[in-house]
Amino acid sequence: MTLSPDEITLFTILGRSISATVLFTWIVMALLTGSAWLVTRRLRPEQPPSRWRTALEVIVQGIEGQIEEVTGRRAPHLLYFAGTLFLFVATSNLLLVVPGFHPPTASLSTTTALALAVLIAVPLFGITSRGLGGYLRNYTRPSIVMLPFNVLTEFSRAVSLAIRLYGNIMSGAVIAAILLGVAPFFLPVVMDMLGLLTGLIQAYIFSVLATVYISSATAPSQPPATGPAPGPAQGKETP
Amino acid sequence: MSIDWIIVAAQIGNFLVLLWLLKRFLFRPILDGIDAREAEIAARMQNAVRAREESEAVEAEYRAKLETLEERHSELTDSRRRQAQEQADGLVKEARKRLEQERQTWRSQMDQDTRRFTDGLHQAGARALLSTTRKALLDLADAELEETMARHLAGQARAMAPEIRAAVGQGRAGVLTSQAPLSEASKAAFSESLASVLPDTQLTFATDASQSPGVVLRMGGAELSWTIDTYLDGLDARFEAQLAALATPSGEAR
Repeated sequence: MTLSPDEITLFTILGRSISATVLFTWIVMALLTGSAWLVTRRLRPEQPPSRWRTALEVIVQGIEGQIEEVTGRRAPHLLYFAGTLFLFVATSNLLLVVPGFHPPTASLSTTTALALAVLIAVPLFGITSRGLGGYLRNYTRPSIVMLPFNVLTEFSRAVSLAIRLYGNIMSGAVIAAILLGVAPFFLPVVMDMLGLLTGLIQAYIFSVLATVYISSATAPSQPPATGPAPGPAQGKETP
Repeated sequence: MSIDWIIVAAQIGNFLVLLWLLKRFLFRPILDGIDAREAEIAARMQNAVRAREESEAVEAEYRAKLETLEERHSELTDSRRRQAQEQADGLVKEARKRLEQERQTWRSQMDQDTRRFTDGLHQAGARALLSTTRKALLDLADAELEETMARHLAGQARAMAPEIRAAVGQGRAGVLTSQAPLSEASKAAFSESLASVLPDTQLTFATDASQSPGVVLRMGGAELSWTIDTYLDGLDARFEAQLAALATPSGEAR
C-alpha cells in the first residue's frame, strides 16, 4: 500500500520519471484552467451571465469576501494567491472521489511546496506593502530578543501548514483504501463523503491561514500606545 | 513519508503556473466582468435617476402649466361672470330706461288725450252753455245774446274808457273777433255801442274758430274780452278732478 502518490511513477519524459503527484497536479491545473477558459472566453458586459459564469462569480466573490473579512480591505493580489491556493487544494481534495485519482495534496511534497509558496509569499507581500525595513522591523517586536522566536514561528507555521494538509488528506485516502478492503460496499462511501467535507474544510483552512499570515505581514503598523503591532507571529492559528 | 525535493520544486513551479493561468483566465475576466456589470448597473441607475429627475421636472412643469391654466380659467370665468353681470345690469338699466320712456310717453299721450278730451268737453260745454243761454235769453227776455253782449261790452268799454284810450293811443282802428260770424244787427249794435264810448273808432269784424264763444275787442295794444271761458273754468276743474280719479290705478287708490 502506497501512502503517497510520490511513490507512484507513471511514465518518464526525457529520462525523468513523472510521478502521480505531478501528473494529477497537471490534471487539476488543466481542469481548473480549462473550465475557467470555457466559461470566461466569451464574456461580454452586455450579455446576461450564464449559470456557469454565475457559479464562478459566486466562488470568486466568496473568496474575495473571505479575504476582505480577514484583512479588512480589498486586496486583489492576495485574491489571486489565496484563491489559487483554495481552488487547487479544494479541487484536488474533491477529486478524491474519482476512482483511480490520487490527490496531489496527499503528497507531503505538494503540501510542502504549497507551504513554501506561502512562506515565500509572506515576506514578498510584506515588503511590497510596507517596504523592507518596515517588514523586517516586525521581527524585532516587541523587542529584539523576540527575533529568533519570530523567525522560528515563521518556519513552524509553514511546517504546520504542510503537515496539517498532508496528514488530513493522506489519512483520509488511506482510511478509505483500508475500509475498501474491509467493507467494500458501504463504509468507503461514507468515508468518501467525509473526505469531501474534510477536503473542503482543509482547503478553506489552508487558504485562510495563508491569508492571515500575509495579511499580518502587510497590515500597517499600529502606534505602540494602542497595543502591539500585528507581526508575523501574531496571526490566527488553527488547531 | 518522505519529501522529494524535485517534486517540491516541480509543484512550486506548477503552482506558479496555475497562479498565472487562473489569474489570466479566471480571476481577471470574472472581476472585470463584475466591475463592468456594476459599472453598467451604476450607469443604468444614473440614467434611471436622471430620467426620474427629468420626469419630475416635466411633472413640475406640467403642474405649473396646469396651475397657470386653472388660474387663467378662473380669471376668464370671473371676467365672463363680470361681463355677464355688467351686461345684465346694462340690460336691466336699459329696460328700466325704456320702461320709463314708455311710461313718460304713455303719460304724455294720456295727458294729450286728457287735454284733448278736456278741450273738446270744454268746447262742447261752451257750445251747450251758449246755446242754452241764447235760447233762454230769447225765450225769457226776447233778446239776442250778441246784442246783449254788445251792450254789455259797450258798458264795459265805457267803464274802462280811460285805460282803453291810453292803451290805444292815437289809432282808432279796432278788431272785434268772434267764434262764429255775427249777424248784421249784432255788428251794428257793437259798432253803435263802441262809437258811444270811442267816437272815431273804425271797427272791423273777424272770426276765429279757435276762440271761445263770445267776443274779443282788440285796439292797438288793448284787448277787451267778453267770452264764456270764465264760466267754464270751474267746470274744467271738476272734469279734471274726475278724470284724475278715473286714471288712478286701483292699487294706488287703495
